[in-house]
Amino acid sequence: MTGAGGGGGPGGSSKAASAEIAGGLLERPLPAGYCEDWARHFAGLESEGAAEDEGADRAALLFRIGDEWLALPTDHLHEVAQPRRTHSLPHRRDELVLGIVNVRGELLVCVSLAALLGISAAGTAEAGERSRAGPRLVVIGRDGRRAAFPVDEVHGVHRYAARDVLALPATIGKAASSYAVEMIAWSGRAIGRLDDALILETLDRSMS
Amino acid sequence: MLFLMFHIGSDRFVLDAEQVERVLPLMEAKSLPGAPPEVVGVINYRGAPTPLIDLSRVALGRPSKRLMSTRIILARYPGERESHDRLALCAERVIKTIHRDPADFVATGVEAGSPAHLGPVASDADGFIQWVRVEALLADEVRDLLFQRAEASA
Repeated sequence: MTGAGGGGGPGGSSKAASAEIAGGLLERPLPAGYCEDWARHFAGLESEGAAEDEGADRAALLFRIGDEWLALPTDHLHEVAQPRRTHSLPHRRDELVLGIVNVRGELLVCVSLAALLGISAAGTAEAGERSRAGPRLVVIGRDGRRAAFPVDEVHGVHRYAARDVLALPATIGKAASSYAVEMIAWSGRAIGRLDDALILETLDRSMS
Repeated sequence: MLFLMFHIGSDRFVLDAEQVERVLPLMEAKSLPGAPPEVVGVINYRGAPTPLIDLSRVALGRPSKRLMSTRIILARYPGERESHDRLALCAERVIKTIHRDPADFVATGVEAGSPAHLGPVASDADGFIQWVRVEALLADEVRDLLFQRAEASA
């Protein structure tokens, strides 16, 4: 029967195994006050709740490259992984393609979003104070074509509503503006939301 | 078709994800003295009192384990007219969704002896997964008790 279980291929069974492990993490007793806190949270008024989550039907991954906080819609987001060694490709010395990385056995092209967006990687002023959140590797993809790019920090997935979206100001960084489509208000700052379809297209074109 | 999976004891069950509005963390419910045993009480969801049913209690007669993986499924319960009532379902190991073709589910053949809400089953490597129909979950008298009362007082 175990053979039949692996019918989805080796990737399928390892995915199932990791899901089991992740599920196992939740098999633990509730912390003190958990039920009471959540009961209080969801008892909040309808209007308050609506402001908080009901309208929040969009989701984006927030991350930082250099000094720039950016948001990428989760539609084409596959995973956020620990950073790993990038193997450079021979005869491929452009700024955009950094090399290939091994993400759970799959070799992915690792690209520099900083180069694509024209963000200087030198901006590490913020890194010192926020050093607890380290660099990560973000995997995106569409139609089976996947690519990875390193970021300096990942905040997490941010849910937002249409009214949190601001028009793109003229002051946003020059190159980033062609990939940023709108601004999202997040904890007092405005973050450029990137056009993931456009980025994937550009990557496809530059890698072919 | 997307299904939300949960466990009752060691068996796996699914709900049609279309009927699920949200999955909430386990929270304290206000108990309803005199209510049927499977009705844990009423939770306050955004100011709306929502009856909470413990699925482990419905099937096994014991409450769901109080673990992080035990969650509350906020389901849409078809009400009268076109409206939907919300029904909160407490179940164990609500940690996974699965994609299955509805055609994978076949009748168990023992429908006559099992409760109305237990639907057809689909199999995978780990055994059977049974489809639970939210709309048939409550016995008529419990449904009347929970929802008529709310309407009468409103």
